[in-house]
Amino acid sequence: MNEINSKHLDDRERLTRQLADTIINSTKELIDPATDPKAINRIRTEVKERLDFEANLAVNEIVTRFSAKKEKIEVPEDQKERTFLRFGKNFRAQHMLMLVSCLILIFTGIPLKFANFGISKFIIIDVCGGLENSTLIHRIAAVGLIIVGVWHLLYTFMTRVGWRDFILMIPTLTDIKDFIHTILYYIGRKPSGPKFGRFSFIEKFDYWAVYWGMVIMIGSGLILWFKEMVPKYGFDIAREAHSDEGLLATLAIVMWHFYNVHFNPEVFPMSWVWWHGKLTEDEMKHHHRLEYDEILKAEREKLNGKADQPDNKGDDS
Amino acid sequence: MREVKYIFLILFATMAFLSLASVTMALEKCVICHGKHDLVRTEETGRQVSLFVPDSALANTVHADRECTDCHDDIVEIPHQKPAKVNCRRCHYTGNPLGAPGGEIGDQYEHSVHGIEVLAGNEKAPVCADCHGTHDIYSPSKKESTVYKQNSPRTCGKCHIDVYATYRESIHGTALADGILDSPDCVSCHGEHNISRHSDADSKVIGSAIVKTCSECHNSVGVASKYGIKSDRVSTVEHSFHGVATEIGNQTVANCASCHDYHDIRPSSDPKSAIHPDNIMATCGRTECHPEATLRFASGQIHIDPMSEESGILYYITKFFTILTVSTLVGLLLLILMDLYRRAKTARDKRKR
Repeated sequence: MNEINSKHLDDRERLTRQLADTIINSTKELIDPATDPKAINRIRTEVKERLDFEANLAVNEIVTRFSAKKEKIEVPEDQKERTFLRFGKNFRAQHMLMLVSCLILIFTGIPLKFANFGISKFIIIDVCGGLENSTLIHRIAAVGLIIVGVWHLLYTFMTRVGWRDFILMIPTLTDIKDFIHTILYYIGRKPSGPKFGRFSFIEKFDYWAVYWGMVIMIGSGLILWFKEMVPKYGFDIAREAHSDEGLLATLAIVMWHFYNVHFNPEVFPMSWVWWHGKLTEDEMKHHHRLEYDEILKAEREKLNGKADQPDNKGDDS
Repeated sequence: MREVKYIFLILFATMAFLSLASVTMALEKCVICHGKHDLVRTEETGRQVSLFVPDSALANTVHADRECTDCHDDIVEIPHQKPAKVNCRRCHYTGNPLGAPGGEIGDQYEHSVHGIEVLAGNEKAPVCADCHGTHDIYSPSKKESTVYKQNSPRTCGKCHIDVYATYRESIHGTALADGILDSPDCVSCHGEHNISRHSDADSKVIGSAIVKTCSECHNSVGVASKYGIKSDRVSTVEHSFHGVATEIGNQTVANCASCHDYHDIRPSSDPKSAIHPDNIMATCGRTECHPEATLRFASGQIHIDPMSEESGILYYITKFFTILTVSTLVGLLLLILMDLYRRAKTARDKRKR
């Protein structure tokens, strides 16, 4: 290790000297011969030193930039920015499967609604390789979406976190008040927005919109899939519902969801919560103030409780 | 010099007289033999072919002004051998000085399935005369013409006899026989001189072109209202999955003819119709379509328009989704715009301070 370092240092010194000499030699003709040689030598030394200094600076910069990621600088626990887990691994996995399924479903589904567009034909014929393939891909992705639906129901009813979140998702009167408050804030009639709990009315709307969409799309999709079992009239209704709700869901995702998680100036180009599931303390304070307050309150009570009865270890966790 | 002039004048007059005389006399000469009812030619098989051609054969036809030798140009002496097949293209070519029509039509024919077969040496393939007749060529608008609309199916049927037998009993065939000239004959769907094999890409009756061909009449409000046919038959198919798949270019999906048949098209009230309630299940359940089809699947209105109030629940569901989509998207868009407005305002206020 030392050998390599010393070799590098030698190289650097040699290069620095060469560079300095080149500079000095090129200035030789410009110097007045009457100048005191001592002064010239002093300047030469200064140039060399300056070059050496700059080279060191550059090397340090490169080393710190590239090695910083390799050698994680351990931030002491108490200096770390506090994060709050918003979405657990299970929930994030549900979102990922849903994301992939939905993109494929939209990609292979929407062209059929706009069949006379050139791009639709391009997607179905050239990208998917014909209608037989595109409908097969659509059905495979549909199985993915059905799995998400069943998975989420199990998650809701079988896990503690799932059930707690589900209860918190139920719309209440507060949501209507918050909605009015938000509108008033938007138009400048209120100085600040409302304080939200774990789920704001917007998030509740998103959740129940997806719930509605899943029921309609999976229900009508299954009818279309097994169309031979239903009367023609049922098929027609399912087809219309599938087609219309599909477009509504697509537009809602592209416009509303993409605004919230991509194009919103606060998160542009993308919010990474779907990946790591964490919110910073600032984000918690700003977007879920009531939940934040509750968490802090619970922690304080826990600390106090522990202080009172040091032997009782986390019964309430 | 004067003598020379006279000689030329006499020579010219004689030539003019002779040429006129030869025209009028040609017919007279032909009729000497061909005007006899009992003029026959005996073929090698022993069959006797009548060679009787009355002198009125060309009267009232499109060739009323023509002479025998205009077409039978290989007859230069009498008696003569069996004349060669008449070449219509001798006159009927684009830009001919006689003003004979149809040069482009001949060009089309040469690229049609019939023309290609003839050029390939198929002796059964039809040439002009097989459809248009020989001496009896009348304008297509005349009832005597072999290609008059009511006569043309029989003309095609000379070769395509099975198809003709089927077509004659179909709704199109019976309607045409009853004098409804809007009803299609063979060429209405298949094309005339440009007729192609039904599997050719440019055919009017290839799967991907069928909807367009049928819609020439069935999407026309004029024809629809005149005969009490519903004019939404094509638009409803275009909206259906069958129509969407056709639009995308799928060849296996059902087109008009898949359910209604092509030559054997009959009204749903006809027990022999493919779409008669007793047969519809078998029609939908054709092995290449929906072999699992049940009676439930096949029963019900096929051509259904979700935008029409007659469609009942379907209409209201469509309305519901339209309203839901528009109101949701407008609401969300407003929220986005208000959010952006508020953010911009907050940022501006901060900068001011």
